[in-house]
Amino acid sequence: MSQAPLDRAKSEITFTVNEKLETVHVYAMERLLDVLRHELGLTGTKEGCGEGECGSCSVLIDGMLVNSCLIPALQANDTKIVTIEGLAADGRLQILQQAFLVCGGAQCGICTPGMILASLHLLEKKPQPTLEEIREGLSGNLCRCTGYIQIFEAVADAARRGAST
Amino acid sequence: MLCQIVAEALGLKYEDVSIAQPDTHAVPNSGPTVASRTVMVVGKLVQSAAVGIEKTLTASGMLPDSYTPEEFRGSCRAYVAKHGIFRSLAQYEQPGDIVWDEEKYRGSAYAAFAWAVYVAEVTADLTTYSVSVDDFVALQEIGKVLHPVLAKGQITGGVAQGIGFALYEKVIWEQGRMQNGQMTNYIMPTSADLPPIRVYFEELGNVHGAYGAKGIGELPMDGPAPAIVNAIEDALNVSFNSIPLLPEDIFAALSESATPEIVAPTARGGE
Repeated sequence: MSQAPLDRAKSEITFTVNEKLETVHVYAMERLLDVLRHELGLTGTKEGCGEGECGSCSVLIDGMLVNSCLIPALQANDTKIVTIEGLAADGRLQILQQAFLVCGGAQCGICTPGMILASLHLLEKKPQPTLEEIREGLSGNLCRCTGYIQIFEAVADAARRGAST
Repeated sequence: MLCQIVAEALGLKYEDVSIAQPDTHAVPNSGPTVASRTVMVVGKLVQSAAVGIEKTLTASGMLPDSYTPEEFRGSCRAYVAKHGIFRSLAQYEQPGDIVWDEEKYRGSAYAAFAWAVYVAEVTADLTTYSVSVDDFVALQEIGKVLHPVLAKGQITGGVAQGIGFALYEKVIWEQGRMQNGQMTNYIMPTSADLPPIRVYFEELGNVHGAYGAKGIGELPMDGPAPAIVNAIEDALNVSFNSIPLLPEDIFAALSESATPEIVAPTARGGE
């Protein structure tokens, strides 16, 4: 059987992912989450709830923090996307990632990529956030294991070390 | 922690010890699934197995009694070159005074229990009937704290789940299915919902665990909800016998209570 009819339903989408230009052929309403994981093999982005509640699949699109499970692939056309894989250049952890490690900000790890991107987004807006601002900034990202306290400590520690610069 | 235990037992650096990916095809059965035993039981086994490596090497004259990490590495390499493989096995031995029946799954699965005190401070809002936890203190006796950061994380995480258990997470079970199995209708605490969770440790040791450690994971999920319910009862002078206490549960209990002065004007309606 030819795949031609199905293939014709697909769209060509071009975007920049972690500073690399990518072109994929996907259905317009495919979730960006699936495109990242299945088409590009970027499995660092996790699916938690699949309904935009938990924040596990958070990525940055043109600097905005979004749930990639709610973004149709077509909407990502011609944008710049940052996933967790874009953070540790050459395998070296960023200040923020190192802070999560040292402070105990990660346990099971499912929320961690989204939590780190949400933290990065917060620190870009507010380089020296108060505890209340950290709580507010991360309230779209659920964590079942840590009780959040050590995540707050990690973000505060990263801020002190100048993670946003 | 298991790598930490091995590093401590052999005088190596933590970074020099790596742990194999667990695979049930390759590892033995570790007994009943009663949890909170990893550090205590597995940790102790890992410690014994590590000591076994050292003893084997020193007994065969390949390693001096005191050695550097480099000497240890060289000695292990020499042993593998000579014997092809180097294994050290440790078998769990039930302490004499502990009885566990593997057939009937009865008895005491633990040689030692952790202890804790939980203190919750709450505010009950008599307009919305919602409760917030304003402060929480956990004092844990876990024998020996092997890794302060991870140990604290286990406690704060457990307390956070306990707060959800007490105030938010209502499972609606109908016809054999959970009716609210989504994050939109089964609500768990977010980063904006939790109080400061202050964790303190006492270390009274435990002869059965690795370096005196006891289990840690479960207890912080057991005690916090009762502490929170007791605090709400203290604030409202009304008894509760179920959790979670959602605003509607608190409203119902207050409406039925014989202490009308507690019930807010909004609850009494258009008087």
